[in-house]
Amino acid sequence: MSETGMAGETDDQGGGPMSLSRRRVLQLGLAALPAVCGARLVSGALSGSDGDAVRAAGADAPAATYDPTAHSWAFAIDTTTCIGCGRCVEACKLENNVPDEGKMNRTWVELHILDQDGSVHVSSPEGGRQGFPTEETLPAAAAATVRDAYFVPRTCMQCENPPCTWVCPVSATYRTEDGIVLVDENRCIGCGYCMVACPYGARYMVPAGGATPKGVAGVVDKCTFCYHRITRGQQPACAEVCPANARIFGDLNDAASPVSVALGEKRVRVMKPALGTKPHVFYTGLEGEVD
Amino acid sequence: MSVQVAGRTLTTDPRVALRAIRLEVAGTPRPLKLWFALLTALCLVGAVGAVIALPPGWEVLGTTPTFEWGILITGYVFFAVTTSGLCLASSLGTVFGIEMFIPLEKRHAILALLSLVTAFGLIALDLHYPIRMVFGAVLSPSPFSPMWWMGVFYGAYLVFLITEVWSMFTGHWQVHRIACVLSSITAVLAPTTLGAVFGVLAARPYWHGAFTPPAMVTAAALSGIALLGIVFYLVHRFRLAGWERAATLAIPAIRLLLTITLMVTVLVLAWQMMFGLYGVVPGLSDATGALLIGPLALGFWVFRVVLGLAVPLVLVLLPRTRTPAGLFAASGLAFVGLFADRMIFVSAGQIAPGTAVAGVVSSPWAAYGPTFVEISIIVGAFAFFALVYTLAERYLPMGEHEGHLVGAFLGSSKPAATTHPEAPDPIPPAAPLLDPAGGAL
Repeated sequence: MSETGMAGETDDQGGGPMSLSRRRVLQLGLAALPAVCGARLVSGALSGSDGDAVRAAGADAPAATYDPTAHSWAFAIDTTTCIGCGRCVEACKLENNVPDEGKMNRTWVELHILDQDGSVHVSSPEGGRQGFPTEETLPAAAAATVRDAYFVPRTCMQCENPPCTWVCPVSATYRTEDGIVLVDENRCIGCGYCMVACPYGARYMVPAGGATPKGVAGVVDKCTFCYHRITRGQQPACAEVCPANARIFGDLNDAASPVSVALGEKRVRVMKPALGTKPHVFYTGLEGEVD
Repeated sequence: MSVQVAGRTLTTDPRVALRAIRLEVAGTPRPLKLWFALLTALCLVGAVGAVIALPPGWEVLGTTPTFEWGILITGYVFFAVTTSGLCLASSLGTVFGIEMFIPLEKRHAILALLSLVTAFGLIALDLHYPIRMVFGAVLSPSPFSPMWWMGVFYGAYLVFLITEVWSMFTGHWQVHRIACVLSSITAVLAPTTLGAVFGVLAARPYWHGAFTPPAMVTAAALSGIALLGIVFYLVHRFRLAGWERAATLAIPAIRLLLTITLMVTVLVLAWQMMFGLYGVVPGLSDATGALLIGPLALGFWVFRVVLGLAVPLVLVLLPRTRTPAGLFAASGLAFVGLFADRMIFVSAGQIAPGTAVAGVVSSPWAAYGPTFVEISIIVGAFAFFALVYTLAERYLPMGEHEGHLVGAFLGSSKPAATTHPEAPDPIPPAAPLLDPAGGAL
């Protein structure tokens, strides 16, 4: 949430008491005025979200000198070069202290096997962390007359119009000015509404008793494009370790950035474009079955 | 030292209170004692489940990233819509001026309040940080979120409902009239925003659409009226306070309301299925298939369609079964069908995820099975609801007019009720429609 009412917050990186208090006063005002809310809703829908000031601390905290207004981060993922090795999944788990369980991932890789009759077999054993053992993929492939097969690395789409932030009842999840959707682990109530609202299945609930990305269990977690790294000039962990250069990361505001170059050179598409979420993850070589 | 509660003088001396409780228990009919014991035991089972599920006990729940909302959300939705239906039914008298309904309002309002409290208890157990929610909703409100508005409306509704009940039992009729109007307005707004919580989710085609909020109000009306059918049959059967009106007024009125709401629900459901089958909208057609011929088919056809709608409709329409017992059976079945419907509704939105979730591919269907802890919490919630209502029925003045207050079951120790100024004149006791044998539970 930002737009007009939040303009002053760009000066207050780190979310000091003054900015928080002003923000809350504004929000309370909005809450009391459904008419204003309606107007904001319409203007938000028409213009898209411009992003919120980063209030994250700890694991997501950006560098002190980082200017979020100068960037617009994005991924260009090339499914024609991904080899399904799963190193990205492993790197993400290690970098972000993601729970070890195979059913909880910030990023994962799917194998899509397309049949001649148009059906699709999708598999992702343990999120693709250990690659794709033959015994996992062979049954689906054996039953099908394979027309095409490829790996699809998945992650949060960092939507420009994210349904997850709109539905959160306590504004715990929000979109930063540089286009990253974050979760404030100290504000999340663990209702799971953002999880059911996400069309891309990018969120999970951090279980108790194991690894916790931000040291808090019972809250929702998701990919942040390794916000703590990209705000310090580094690549996300998954892009850093990809041996096939299938995950191309960069800044859309920089014409020379690898992602800008890739988007200029290749024919790309996003997942589920009809929902109007405007993802910041673009795919090369993706077919229609993911919609 | 003593305090006045609902017209009774209660001592604050623990020894005197303990003795009074012992005497009260000794004077309670044996069947009622057994009923209380059963409900208390079930409440304890639920309480143990609740303690186990308290943070950080979330892992005992059967929910997964793919199936994030389980039976606790189902229970919340069920009680949250039931309270609205009860409130709407209770508003027919004071708010809409239909005089014949005025004497029935007390039970409606008590049930509505209890239902809302039970709903809040269930949602608090499902949330991982409920305290944060209370502060977060106030300090960092999110006016774009239907869930936030739902909290606002249900919170306001709670305040209005408490005021309504308080004014009803203390005879503050001016306040009562205002509270009734306000609670009725929020009783419509709250379930529609609850419907919107699901309806705005484009990622969940089965829930998505403007159809969902009004469908939620329809479910609210049916479930509230069905519960009234159960309660007023018991009032009639056991000659509880105001049983004469139950026979002559409440039961026929509830039968009419139940017939109408059942018919509307059948129409809503039929169109919902038609829309699901028409065309092949990904997610929507999958979920409809899960309902009609897939993993939800048993619950849908048996509990939702046959037992929850078809049989009750036959019972209220056939002249032969248009009896209080027939209404009781129809209401009970509709009530059970409604819970199945809420379970099916919550499940159908998640059963065809349309994408892998956090790296888990669910094909063809996502699976969820409630754990023993979750089931015990739901059982405990129903037991709590029944226990507190039975206590209210026994110790609060539920009748409307002095002289008609005392039922065989309740004894003569109950305080006199305060008469509503617009209530119709007392009517002579009507001949019961059923053999009133067995004046106690």
